[in-house]
Amino acid sequence: MRLTNHPILGPAAPGREVVFFLDGVAATGLEGEPLAAALKAAGVAVHRYTKKHRRPRGLFCAVGRCTDCVMVVNGRPNVRVCVTPLEEGMRVATQYGAGEGVK
Amino acid sequence: MTRYDLIVIGAGPAGLSAAAEAAGAGLRVAVFDENAKPGGQLFKQIHKFFGAKEHKAKIRGVKIGAELLAEAEKRGAEVFLNSPVAGLYKEREILVRRGEGVGHYKGDAIIVATGAQENMPAFAGWTLPGVMGAGAAQTLMHLHRVKPGKRVLMLGSGNVGLVVGFQLRQAGCELAAVLDAAPRIGGYGVHAAKLARTGVPFYLSHSIVRAWGTDKVTGVVAGEVDGGWNFIPGREKQFEVDTVCIAAGLAPATQLLKMAGCAMRAAGADWLPVCSAVGETSLPGVYAAGDVSGIEEASSAMIEGRLAGGAAARKLGFIGPDEYEERRQVLLAALASLREGMFAPQKRGQISAQTDEGIDLSQTLLRKGYLEEGEVGKYPGVKPAAGIHPVIECTQNIPCNPCRDACPQGCIKVTGGIAALPEYDDRAGCAGCGLCVAVCPGQAIFLLNEDAGDGLAEVTAPYEFLPLPQKGELGAALARSGEKLCPAEVVRVKLAPAFDRTALVTFRVPRDFAMRARFWQKEAAA
Ligand SMILES: Cc1cc2nc3c(=O)[nH]c(=O)nc-3n(C[C@H](O)[C@H](O)[C@H](O)COP(=O)(O)OP(=O)(O)OC[C@H]3O[C@@H](n4cnc5c(N)ncnc54)[C@H](O)[C@@H]3O)c2cc1C
Ligand code: SF4
Ligand code: SF4
Ligand code: FES
Repeated sequence: MRLTNHPILGPAAPGREVVFFLDGVAATGLEGEPLAAALKAAGVAVHRYTKKHRRPRGLFCAVGRCTDCVMVVNGRPNVRVCVTPLEEGMRVATQYGAGEGVK
Repeated sequence: MTRYDLIVIGAGPAGLSAAAEAAGAGLRVAVFDENAKPGGQLFKQIHKFFGAKEHKAKIRGVKIGAELLAEAEKRGAEVFLNSPVAGLYKEREILVRRGEGVGHYKGDAIIVATGAQENMPAFAGWTLPGVMGAGAAQTLMHLHRVKPGKRVLMLGSGNVGLVVGFQLRQAGCELAAVLDAAPRIGGYGVHAAKLARTGVPFYLSHSIVRAWGTDKVTGVVAGEVDGGWNFIPGREKQFEVDTVCIAAGLAPATQLLKMAGCAMRAAGADWLPVCSAVGETSLPGVYAAGDVSGIEEASSAMIEGRLAGGAAARKLGFIGPDEYEERRQVLLAALASLREGMFAPQKRGQISAQTDEGIDLSQTLLRKGYLEEGEVGKYPGVKPAAGIHPVIECTQNIPCNPCRDACPQGCIKVTGGIAALPEYDDRAGCAGCGLCVAVCPGQAIFLLNEDAGDGLAEVTAPYEFLPLPQKGELGAALARSGEKLCPAEVVRVKLAPAFDRTALVTFRVPRDFAMRARFWQKEAAA
């Protein structure tokens, strides 16, 4: 899903690949890119399930406005991953509801 | 509380232009933007812009944004990023959220240039992962270099839907279709034609009934709608897609203006601030510029920004009345020239049947996104000629003329206002340099040599996809409709610096196909 080359933008700047953990499973992304981009590149669509009806939500606005993309990051719920830069070793978890019961 | 002569809210084309203009006049200027990158919409726009030279036509949006930022900063404006403005109060005070804290600032003048927000129509399943705004798709592709999906359905045929649709194709995504509930394509015909010739179907008078999928979108049911936008039973279609992009229009982001108590007026479905010709609202010293004062284009937003920036400089006594008036007249004239043509803001909602020149508008272009073969010859850019010559398939009055300025031989005329249809002057003698083909933001110009020997013709078309074809490569020639016509061999691929990444691909087809073949398609490996 990554655009390593593009007819107008040219080749992508090489990034540093780092490991992070999604629901406990190791995945890779590029350091400093929004977490949402790393998830998209890894084919992850669901970021959270809503509180009442347990409906899935994913990336929607990609610019930090809609709060659809929030996840539990390093134990903190309700983090907008579309505007959160990826750091090595980050722990990201699918959020259920408002993130109750998060350790 | 920190004080500035001028505070600009929003670092898009309007805000940066306002800051550059005012800082140039000596004002102490601060610009606040909520994003991590400045430029507003411009930093996502990788296509060449319409307009004339003074509107930065034929330059790609990203580059315009970078130039504006450099100009504003060079003149001394301070640009603060990651700084959403949460409040605008009487007495021209603002509240800015920065990190975990807040900051208070006061400006002797304030320019609100907050742009617009995307409209989001609700349909069953619209909250499923995989449904996203067209702006989100652009952000993913152009800022983060990730594909939004593999196969996409675009809802909305305005310029945003058409441009983003093309950009999805450029990123290597499949575009299943472009849908619009309106009976006519809303954006420029040239943008639609660019997509149609690559084989993308248009479904007008269609909307989404529902998107389905359990954990993400796997398909969409679309249906035909009547004039009242109600679904007609039994007229459903299914599309298997993993992504749905919504480009259902933009609404001015007027929250701060409303909060400050600026007088507003209804304009269609939107509320717009009541403004003077230079953008001053009902609150003295508070201005609105760009999309927030009415959705238009980056080209007009830049001029509106400069008008407001200049007005603030005048109001605070940084420039004299004569200097101000002279500059104001130049800017107002440039703005007026952009508001010519059938898509002008004052013509919104009207339906024209003919061009300003009195030629019937193509109905097929409005419904299916391409010109019918039999009607192309009606337009002044298309004339038969011996030897190599341009075929200019630009058939609507849009404010644009870089094709004229590009031609070193003077073969292309745009006379009587920039929205006039370009005309090919067959007496001038085309040298076949291809510059017109490369600069045209609508990718509407082709070069034709109908007698390339052996009963073959050579067609040269703009090409902005990867991989580039190779000389000698055999592919297929597609018609304006995207229909496959015949095998076609590539005889030349040109990519000069002056073309700014638009390649010119010349391919050979039987002579009978010369006026039909408009796209070269790589043959899928067997
Ligand atoms: C797909 C697409 C294609 C386009 N193609 C063209 C084209 O070919 N030619 C053309 O001329 N125009 C084109 N446009 C239109 C053009 O991009 C817009 O008209 C133009 O960007 C409007 O400029 P602006 O400065 O008013 O707003 P914007 O560019 O939207 O900038 C507004 C800025 O304000 C910021 N902001 C908003 N609220 C706040 C707040 N409360 N606090 C801090 N910051 C805030 C936003 O984050 C943003 O950075 C296109 C638009 C799209 C979406
Ligand atoms: S190919 Fe060159 S010479 Fe011919 S019309 Fe275009 S710009 Fe002019
Ligand atoms: S043909 Fe000329 S006027 Fe028409 S879109 Fe192209 S450059 Fe603009
Ligand atoms: S996708 Fe909207 S806030 Fe992240």
